[in-house]
Amino acid sequence: MASRQKLSGIQKQVLALYRGFLRTARLKAPEERRRIESVVSAEFRDSARNVDRKNFVYIEYLLRRGRRQLEQLKNPDITGLATLEVNK
Amino acid sequence: MAAAALRPAILRRIRLSPAPSLPLAAAASQPHALARWLARPMSSHDAHLSREEVVDRVLDVLKSHPKVDPSKVTPEAHFEKDLGLDSLDTVEVVMAIEEEFKLEIPDREADNIDSLPLAIEYVANHPMAG
Repeated sequence: MASRQKLSGIQKQVLALYRGFLRTARLKAPEERRRIESVVSAEFRDSARNVDRKNFVYIEYLLRRGRRQLEQLKNPDITGLATLEVNK
Repeated sequence: MAAAALRPAILRRIRLSPAPSLPLAAAASQPHALARWLARPMSSHDAHLSREEVVDRVLDVLKSHPKVDPSKVTPEAHFEKDLGLDSLDTVEVVMAIEEEFKLEIPDREADNIDSLPLAIEYVANHPMAG
Protein backbone atom coordinates (compact mmCIF):
# COMPACT_ATOMS: atom_id res chain seq x y z
CA MET A 1 0.00 0.00 0.00
CA ALA A 2 1.28 3.50 -0.76
CA SER A 3 2.78 5.69 1.92
CA ARG A 4 0.41 7.78 3.95
CA GLN A 5 1.15 11.16 2.38
CA LYS A 6 -0.06 10.03 -0.99
CA LEU A 7 -3.29 8.34 0.03
CA SER A 8 -5.58 8.62 -2.94
CA GLY A 9 -9.34 8.91 -2.71
CA ILE A 10 -9.74 5.29 -3.67
CA GLN A 11 -7.19 4.15 -1.10
CA LYS A 12 -9.06 6.04 1.58
CA GLN A 13 -12.25 4.28 0.53
CA VAL A 14 -10.55 0.91 0.79
CA LEU A 15 -9.23 1.71 4.26
CA ALA A 16 -12.63 3.05 5.32
CA LEU A 17 -14.24 -0.19 4.20
CA TYR A 18 -11.64 -2.23 6.07
CA ARG A 19 -12.28 -0.18 9.18
CA GLY A 20 -16.01 -0.66 8.71
CA PHE A 21 -15.58 -4.42 8.71
CA LEU A 22 -13.44 -4.33 11.84
CA ARG A 23 -15.95 -2.11 13.63
CA THR A 24 -18.79 -4.42 12.73
CA ALA A 25 -16.77 -7.47 13.80
CA ARG A 26 -16.44 -5.92 17.27
CA LEU A 27 -20.18 -6.27 17.74
CA LYS A 28 -20.19 -10.03 17.21
CA ALA A 29 -19.29 -12.79 19.67
CA PRO A 30 -15.54 -13.02 20.39
CA GLU A 31 -14.95 -16.24 18.48
CA GLU A 32 -16.86 -14.95 15.48
CA ARG A 33 -15.12 -11.61 15.70
CA ARG A 34 -11.74 -13.28 15.40
CA ARG A 35 -12.91 -15.31 12.44
CA ILE A 36 -14.34 -12.30 10.62
CA GLU A 37 -11.15 -10.34 11.23
CA SER A 38 -9.08 -13.19 9.91
CA VAL A 39 -11.14 -13.64 6.74
CA VAL A 40 -11.43 -9.93 6.01
CA SER A 41 -7.74 -9.35 6.62
CA ALA A 42 -6.78 -12.18 4.28
CA GLU A 43 -9.15 -11.01 1.54
CA PHE A 44 -7.99 -7.41 1.64
CA ARG A 45 -4.33 -8.37 1.62
CA ASP A 46 -4.89 -10.85 -1.14
CA SER A 47 -6.46 -8.21 -3.33
CA ALA A 48 -3.78 -5.69 -2.40
CA ARG A 49 -1.19 -8.14 -3.67
CA ASN A 50 -2.98 -9.31 -6.77
CA VAL A 51 -4.88 -6.33 -8.09
CA ASP A 52 -3.12 -3.66 -10.12
CA ARG A 53 -3.58 -0.44 -8.19
CA LYS A 54 -4.43 1.32 -11.44
CA ASN A 55 -7.24 -1.07 -12.22
CA PHE A 56 -9.84 1.37 -10.96
CA VAL A 57 -12.75 -0.41 -12.56
CA TYR A 58 -12.01 -3.65 -10.77
CA ILE A 59 -11.16 -1.95 -7.49
CA GLU A 60 -14.43 -0.07 -7.57
CA TYR A 61 -16.23 -3.32 -8.23
CA LEU A 62 -14.54 -4.86 -5.20
CA LEU A 63 -15.49 -1.82 -3.11
CA ARG A 64 -19.14 -2.10 -4.13
CA ARG A 65 -19.17 -5.79 -3.41
CA GLY A 66 -17.42 -5.32 -0.08
CA ARG A 67 -19.89 -2.64 0.98
CA ARG A 68 -22.81 -4.93 0.20
CA GLN A 69 -21.22 -7.69 2.24
CA LEU A 70 -20.60 -5.28 5.09
CA GLU A 71 -24.25 -4.22 5.10
CA GLN A 72 -25.28 -7.85 5.36
CA LEU A 73 -22.79 -8.43 8.16
CA LYS A 74 -24.26 -5.54 10.13
CA ASN A 75 -27.54 -7.40 10.38
CA PRO A 76 -27.64 -8.59 14.01
CA ASP A 77 -29.15 -11.87 12.92
CA ILE A 78 -26.03 -12.68 10.97
CA THR A 79 -23.57 -14.34 13.28
CA GLY A 80 -20.61 -14.63 10.96
CA LEU A 81 -19.29 -15.15 7.48
CA ALA A 82 -17.33 -17.78 5.65
CA THR A 83 -15.51 -18.04 2.38
CA LEU A 84 -15.32 -20.93 0.03
CA GLU A 85 -11.97 -22.15 -1.23
CA VAL A 86 -11.76 -22.39 -4.99
CA ASN A 87 -9.10 -24.56 -6.55
CA LYS A 88 -7.22 -22.05 -8.69
CA MET B 1 -79.12 -6.70 56.38
CA ALA B 2 -78.75 -3.91 53.96
CA ALA B 3 -76.17 -1.22 54.28
CA ALA B 4 -74.21 -2.44 57.26
CA ALA B 5 -73.39 -5.80 55.75
CA LEU B 6 -73.14 -4.41 52.29
CA ARG B 7 -70.24 -2.13 53.06
CA PRO B 8 -67.76 -4.78 54.18
CA ALA B 9 -68.93 -7.03 51.38
CA ILE B 10 -68.11 -4.37 48.88
CA LEU B 11 -64.80 -3.50 50.50
CA ARG B 12 -63.73 -7.11 50.41
CA ARG B 13 -64.18 -7.11 46.70
CA ILE B 14 -62.44 -3.90 45.83
CA ARG B 15 -58.87 -4.20 44.71
CA LEU B 16 -56.87 -1.04 44.73
CA SER B 17 -53.66 -0.91 42.74
CA PRO B 18 -51.16 1.14 44.66
CA ALA B 19 -50.50 4.40 42.87
CA PRO B 20 -46.79 4.95 42.58
CA SER B 21 -45.65 7.91 44.55
CA LEU B 22 -44.72 10.82 42.39
CA PRO B 23 -40.90 10.71 42.49
CA LEU B 24 -40.87 7.00 41.68
CA ALA B 25 -43.22 7.56 38.77
CA ALA B 26 -40.96 10.26 37.43
CA ALA B 27 -37.94 7.99 37.68
CA ALA B 28 -39.81 5.07 36.17
CA SER B 29 -40.81 7.13 33.18
CA GLN B 30 -37.21 8.18 32.58
CA PRO B 31 -35.10 5.15 33.43
CA HIS B 32 -32.42 6.18 31.00
CA ALA B 33 -32.07 9.63 32.50
CA LEU B 34 -31.52 8.06 35.87
CA ALA B 35 -29.03 5.56 34.53
CA ARG B 36 -27.19 8.32 32.75
CA TRP B 37 -27.00 10.40 35.87
CA LEU B 38 -25.68 7.50 37.91
CA ALA B 39 -23.06 6.77 35.29
CA ARG B 40 -21.91 10.37 34.96
CA PRO B 41 -18.19 10.74 35.07
CA MET B 42 -17.33 12.04 38.48
CA SER B 43 -14.32 13.99 37.57
CA SER B 44 -11.76 15.26 39.88
CA HIS B 45 -9.06 17.61 38.79
CA ASP B 46 -6.90 14.63 37.80
CA ALA B 47 -9.44 12.97 35.52
CA HIS B 48 -7.03 13.26 32.62
CA LEU B 49 -4.46 10.52 32.04
CA SER B 50 -0.84 11.47 32.62
CA ARG B 51 1.27 11.71 29.52
CA GLU B 52 3.57 9.01 30.83
CA GLU B 53 0.66 6.61 31.21
CA VAL B 54 -0.55 7.41 27.70
CA VAL B 55 2.93 6.77 26.27
CA ASP B 56 3.32 3.47 28.14
CA ARG B 57 -0.04 2.17 27.11
CA VAL B 58 0.31 3.21 23.46
CA LEU B 59 3.72 1.50 23.33
CA ASP B 60 2.13 -1.65 24.73
CA VAL B 61 -0.61 -1.60 22.12
CA LEU B 62 1.97 -1.44 19.37
CA LYS B 63 4.14 -4.13 20.89
CA SER B 64 1.15 -6.45 21.05
CA HIS B 65 0.40 -6.20 17.36
CA PRO B 66 1.35 -9.51 15.69
CA LYS B 67 3.28 -7.85 12.88
CA VAL B 68 5.31 -5.53 15.05
CA ASP B 69 8.83 -6.22 16.28
CA PRO B 70 8.60 -5.00 19.89
CA SER B 71 12.28 -4.03 19.97
CA LYS B 72 11.61 -1.38 17.31
CA VAL B 73 8.80 0.32 19.19
CA THR B 74 9.73 3.74 20.48
CA PRO B 75 7.62 6.84 21.18
CA GLU B 76 9.02 8.36 17.98
CA ALA B 77 8.42 5.42 15.68
CA HIS B 78 6.53 5.81 12.41
CA PHE B 79 4.19 2.89 11.70
CA GLU B 80 5.18 2.38 8.10
CA LYS B 81 8.71 3.73 7.94
CA ASP B 82 10.04 2.33 11.21
CA LEU B 83 7.78 -0.59 12.01
CA GLY B 84 7.22 -1.83 8.48
CA LEU B 85 3.43 -1.82 8.73
CA ASP B 86 1.18 -1.30 5.75
CA SER B 87 -1.89 0.92 5.72
CA LEU B 88 -4.23 -1.95 6.62
CA ASP B 89 -2.06 -2.70 9.66
CA THR B 90 -2.25 0.96 10.58
CA VAL B 91 -6.04 0.78 10.57
CA GLU B 92 -5.80 -2.18 12.96
CA VAL B 93 -3.36 -0.35 15.21
CA VAL B 94 -5.53 2.74 15.47
CA MET B 95 -8.54 0.59 16.30
CA ALA B 96 -6.56 -1.21 18.98
CA ILE B 97 -5.72 2.20 20.43
CA GLU B 98 -9.42 3.04 20.40
CA GLU B 99 -10.15 -0.06 22.45
CA GLU B 100 -7.29 0.53 24.86
CA PHE B 101 -8.49 4.03 25.70
CA LYS B 102 -12.20 3.49 25.18
CA LEU B 103 -12.42 6.02 22.39
CA GLU B 104 -14.00 6.13 18.99
CA ILE B 105 -11.82 8.00 16.54
CA PRO B 106 -13.60 9.48 13.49
CA ASP B 107 -12.26 8.33 10.12
CA ARG B 108 -10.91 11.71 9.05
CA GLU B 109 -8.77 11.88 12.18
CA ALA B 110 -7.81 8.21 12.11
CA ASP B 111 -6.54 8.68 8.56
CA ASN B 112 -3.92 11.10 9.87
CA ILE B 113 -2.56 8.94 12.66
CA ASP B 114 0.41 7.22 11.09
CA SER B 115 3.02 7.31 13.83
CA LEU B 116 3.45 6.90 17.56
CA PRO B 117 3.96 10.61 18.25
CA LEU B 118 0.66 11.39 16.53
CA ALA B 119 -1.16 8.57 18.29
CA ILE B 120 0.19 9.67 21.69
CA GLU B 121 -0.69 13.30 20.97
CA TYR B 122 -4.23 12.38 19.96
CA VAL B 123 -4.90 10.31 23.06
CA ALA B 124 -3.21 12.73 25.43
CA ASN B 125 -5.36 15.58 24.13
CA HIS B 126 -8.60 13.65 24.16
CA PRO B 127 -10.84 14.58 27.10
CA MET B 128 -12.56 11.19 27.13
CA ALA B 129 -9.49 8.95 27.05
CA GLY B 130 -9.74 6.39 29.83
